Amino acid sequence: MTGNDVPDVDMPNIPQPQRQDEPVVTDADLVALLAGTADVAPGLRPVADVLAALVAEPTDMELAGEERALARFRRQAGAPVPTRRARRNANGLSSRFGVKVGASVTAVAVVLGGGAAAAFADVLPAPIQRLAHEAIGAPIPHARHTLPSGSRSAAHSRSGMHSRSSTHGKPAARGGPGTGRQGRPHPTPSPTSHGNPQGQGKHGNPQGKGKGQEGQGSGQGSQGNGQGNQGTGQGHRGKGQGQAASQGRGNGQGNQSKRPRGNSQADRRKAGHPHLSGLFRLVMESLTSRPVPRPGCGVAAARWAGWPA
Amino acid sequence: MIGEEFADLLTAAQSGSEAAFSRLWRNANPALLRYLRVIAPGAEEDIAAETWVHVVRGLASFRGGEQAWRAWLFTTARRRAIDLARHRSRRPEAALDDLTAAQLPSSADSAETAIENLSTAAAIGLLAGLPPMQAEVILLRVVAGLDTESVARLLRKSPGAVRVAAHRGLRRLAQITADTGVTL
Repeated sequence: MTGNDVPDVDMPNIPQPQRQDEPVVTDADLVALLAGTADVAPGLRPVADVLAALVAEPTDMELAGEERALARFRRQAGAPVPTRRARRNANGLSSRFGVKVGASVTAVAVVLGGGAAAAFADVLPAPIQRLAHEAIGAPIPHARHTLPSGSRSAAHSRSGMHSRSSTHGKPAARGGPGTGRQGRPHPTPSPTSHGNPQGQGKHGNPQGKGKGQEGQGSGQGSQGNGQGNQGTGQGHRGKGQGQAASQGRGNGQGNQSKRPRGNSQADRRKAGHPHLSGLFRLVMESLTSRPVPRPGCGVAAARWAGWPA
Repeated sequence: MIGEEFADLLTAAQSGSEAAFSRLWRNANPALLRYLRVIAPGAEEDIAAETWVHVVRGLASFRGGEQAWRAWLFTTARRRAIDLARHRSRRPEAALDDLTAAQLPSSADSAETAIENLSTAAAIGLLAGLPPMQAEVILLRVVAGLDTESVARLLRKSPGAVRVAAHRGLRRLAQITADTGVTL
């Protein structure tokens, strides 16, 4: 029995025939082969010959491309070879330039944004504030200081509420059934046609009373509350875009609001360029992800900018 | 191998000496072609030319001895060969099904080639019959003249793996020559 409990007759130990033609290669032989030394075993002689043939003298075909390589070398030698520092400079130039441009753009954005916020907060010096008013519709310089006390609403409307008052005036202008055709051809009302009582005969119509009241009452906010009553009494008077003048007089502000402030060209210009201010708002909103107050709302702008109102 | 003269030749070539560069080229290009004939058969001339373009471009900034020079040369050639193989695999030029039997490349038996041509080409043919890794290691050790560590770095293998591949390749080569009775 064998160690594996198998009878010897069942598992005969069959000897494996050794390959007599396979050379026995030792590590020393391999090192000698790779080194190209002559003292290798006789059985490895063919291998040594193969390796020697690999490093034999070059043939003409293997040296045929010399002219082409030399021409390439000549061209390269003639051209200035960029040093490592020059290459680094060339690579760094664009990145440094990009950083500078980015920093400049950021600085300009911060300055413009801060300046615009200051302009809307009405804290800039008068000439600059006036410039900002012309450019981006910021409030008129120190309007609240130059106007008499109690006329805050007038200053407010002067600095930026004109467009709003003009839109408010429109329903009234449209409202009068008998005045519809006459009101529309006068988008820029004159005090004589709308503001004085003599204008009643021209535009007014007793039947247009009800709608005229409605238009004034809804559109004028705090000012309109007091004027709504007046409009009710006047009826024929509170129509069209001249209502600001007539309203002003009704509030005892007739002297200040002699000039009609509907949607005249001058008023619109003072309210700021609509595209510029809109563009500014868009830019600031995209930069800060916060809604920017409309031009003229100085307090809101200051609050928006984080300044004490 | 050039030997002690190499440093002077390299300096002269970097200074623009055509003679020095020619010497370097004549010394290295045959070995380069023999190596490429095994790892990129059929494209050895193009790859060698591309390799020399790259070498000429970076010659001024090269620093090192002859071993480093040869390692740089063969590393560049190997990368070009790999790029070419990838390019060919992405854009096969013709499907084998479309080729007739006469157009198919005839790969002669390595042993037969060796018997017929007792030359370098025959030896390269024998090497080409080995597994790629073993053939490449033997070529880099024998033809390029690189030591085990340089070959390991070039192939991104461990030195031990390179030694094993070299031994196995030589044993296999010995077996082939013994089986076929090749004598060069």
